[in-house]
Amino acid sequence: MVKIPVGIPIFVAAAGVDNKFATLVHRYLLSAAVWLVLASGVGLFLAFHHVDPSLLPDIAELSYGRLRPVHTMTMLFGWASLALVGLALYVVAKSAWVPMHKPLGKVEYGFARLALWLWNIGIAAGIVTLCMGMVNGGREYREYQWYCMAPIAVGVIIIGILVYRLMARRGVQGVYISCWFILASCFWIAIIVVMGYLSPWKTGIADRIIDGYYIHNAVGMWFTPLAVGITYYALPKLLNKPIYSYALGVLGFFTHIVFYTVIGTHHYIFTPIPVWLQTVSVIFSVAMIVPVWASTGNFLMTMKGERLAIRHSYSLPFFVVGVIGYGLASIQGSAESLREVQEVLHFTHYTVGHAHFAMYVFVSFLIWGAIYGLVPRTTGVEPPVMLVGVHFWLALSGVAIYVVALCWGGHVQGNAFVDGEPFMESVRAMTPFHVWRFVGASLMTVAHLVFFVSLWRMRPGAFSKAFAQQPGA
Amino acid sequence: MPSNIHTSHRMVFLLPASIYIVLVVVIAILPAMSASTEEKALEVPPVTPLAAWGRELYREKYNCVVCHTQQIRGDVRRRNEVDGSVPVLAADARFGLEGPTTAEEYAHQEAPMLGTQRTGPDLMSIGIRMPSRQWHYWHLYKPQSVSPDSTMEAYPYLFSSEKPKAVGDAVPEKVELIEGLGYDGDELWATPEAVAIVEYLLSLDRPLARKNR
Ligand code: HEC
Ligand code: HEM
Repeated sequence: MVKIPVGIPIFVAAAGVDNKFATLVHRYLLSAAVWLVLASGVGLFLAFHHVDPSLLPDIAELSYGRLRPVHTMTMLFGWASLALVGLALYVVAKSAWVPMHKPLGKVEYGFARLALWLWNIGIAAGIVTLCMGMVNGGREYREYQWYCMAPIAVGVIIIGILVYRLMARRGVQGVYISCWFILASCFWIAIIVVMGYLSPWKTGIADRIIDGYYIHNAVGMWFTPLAVGITYYALPKLLNKPIYSYALGVLGFFTHIVFYTVIGTHHYIFTPIPVWLQTVSVIFSVAMIVPVWASTGNFLMTMKGERLAIRHSYSLPFFVVGVIGYGLASIQGSAESLREVQEVLHFTHYTVGHAHFAMYVFVSFLIWGAIYGLVPRTTGVEPPVMLVGVHFWLALSGVAIYVVALCWGGHVQGNAFVDGEPFMESVRAMTPFHVWRFVGASLMTVAHLVFFVSLWRMRPGAFSKAFAQQPGA
Repeated sequence: MPSNIHTSHRMVFLLPASIYIVLVVVIAILPAMSASTEEKALEVPPVTPLAAWGRELYREKYNCVVCHTQQIRGDVRRRNEVDGSVPVLAADARFGLEGPTTAEEYAHQEAPMLGTQRTGPDLMSIGIRMPSRQWHYWHLYKPQSVSPDSTMEAYPYLFSSEKPKAVGDAVPEKVELIEGLGYDGDELWATPEAVAIVEYLLSLDRPLARKNR
């Protein structure tokens, strides 16, 4: 008698997928997961620094000033970017109805692997050079030397070309909106990185105008549209129904471009940057409610009435959290741009709370949802459900503690600034919140280790091994 | 059939790309160009090579920017209609007796360090508030020696027990030993790097703002 392994429907879904493609996507995701675990360790170190630096070693290579950019750059360009790009390749191929038994040609596979190599080399070189004390300081999210960012930029361009070729080869007439978001982000990030590194305005206020543009476009025109684009494919697919309103998606896409591009100066309110730029940035930061809720609302309406499916799925709960996270983090961002709010909260740890709300609850949860939902359809292997559950609850409770602690603490810190208390009061008042942040961050780090194991268990080839071990198979 | 974004992958590339380029020109490139033109007309006091090296170390080697801002915000909502002056924002008053920072004060500086976080105090006017070299040496060697409960990291590797060699203008200085340092050697020397960083900190005394007062 043949015993049917648990994953059989998934195995069938994955049956037509080129094994080379499954392996390619999995390598992108695995690289991302390695960087995630590493950068979490660094984040934990930094979090502890705020609690009691005297217990940490005084080594230049491990100093806070150097490790902070190591954390942010590895998380942004190692974890989030590589994971999104890996998923994007699959999403574009599928939503363009490219035949999955041979989505890419031999040369294209070569380039896709080259892009991954370049990317990983860039990140590794970035970590080493930052620790050695070669920091492009004062320029957030581009602290790497140019020669560490260059390989990553070449990687992005290769990916953009591959995405375009996949779309050109599509098996249907229409181009689905996921492809719009993904192809456009590849172009936008290339421009953003070029502006960030090659802009000729490197001094004075002109440099800061470019800086505001860079910081916000990197987040808003790369991570956000990729995550949203992937969700437009994955969510309807996993629920097995069409998206609630395609037109709403189109509205979201175009308002996203117009509004998100122009709000960078909201990082520099009350500075000598021309006031009109500041005002434009505040107005459009509030207007961001339109594209954000076009997508969030669309996703929520798609999920409406699917409570049962969500309860029985191990990937959909991640989407629920990610979608709600997108809506809430963005409302928080709109509010933060207002001058009255800036006055109190800018410069405090509230900003860090917001950064993690956005990059974690929104972007990272959507990535995880898409990984658990889509990877089994390429490799034919499902993750251990138990581990996914542990991952979900640890990550969610960890980040809840993290964000609440920092947002609350940020208020306390900001009010200490406004009330004109001695500066050290603002430092002392933050200590309990930093302790809580450390607790939350520890749970998140454990969740990332669990995620790593689950991803490893989903690797291509794992199914045939499991199958071979079935008695009677 | 006319090609549109719904049916043509070429349009999916061209349309978002061209809208984006136009917006970037309007929101980043043109404003940066005009700010840069205005900057060229501004004259700033000369910076000593030692302070310039100190700034380089501060920004590129130790990245102190992550915890310290250098901007005193002006409350544009309460601009004085008569003389056009802008008062300092309440939250920044402790750092800003000389008024909000101006474009002039950042002119010709590579990556001006306005900063994003005040884990530590603003340093725009630290040269006025804390003019003692020895204090800065103690503070860099062990922040808690002069500021109990400080969460700033210590930089003991900027000091040495034997007299180090000078580097250009950066002549090592002897640090006066105080109790809180927890140092049990006989002598403690500030290395050229420490000397340069402190020189830079002391140079942050807002000469332009004081001149305009
Ligand atoms: C982890 C964050 C952090 C880093 C990195 C950091 N500082 Fe600080 N700094 C603080 C905190 C917190 C204080 C307030 C407590 C104190 O005086 O030590 C402070 C205070 C100061 C002060 C005294 C300011 C005043 O108004 O009393 C100076 C000067 C200073 N730091 C210089 C530096 C320099 C130079 C570097 C880089 C070599 C640096 N800091 C790196 C957190 C940091
Ligand atoms: C275990 C998980 C994590 C830990 C322990 C952690 C910890 C930290 C710490 C300590 C800081 C410095 C904050 C400060 O100055 O007080 C920071 C900043 C930051 N982290 Fe994380 N983090 C984690 C996960 C992530 C993830 C997954 C991302 C993105 C995908 C991320 C993105 C960022 C960003 C963008 C900043 C800069 C925020 C700003 O400048 O406003 N972090 N993190």
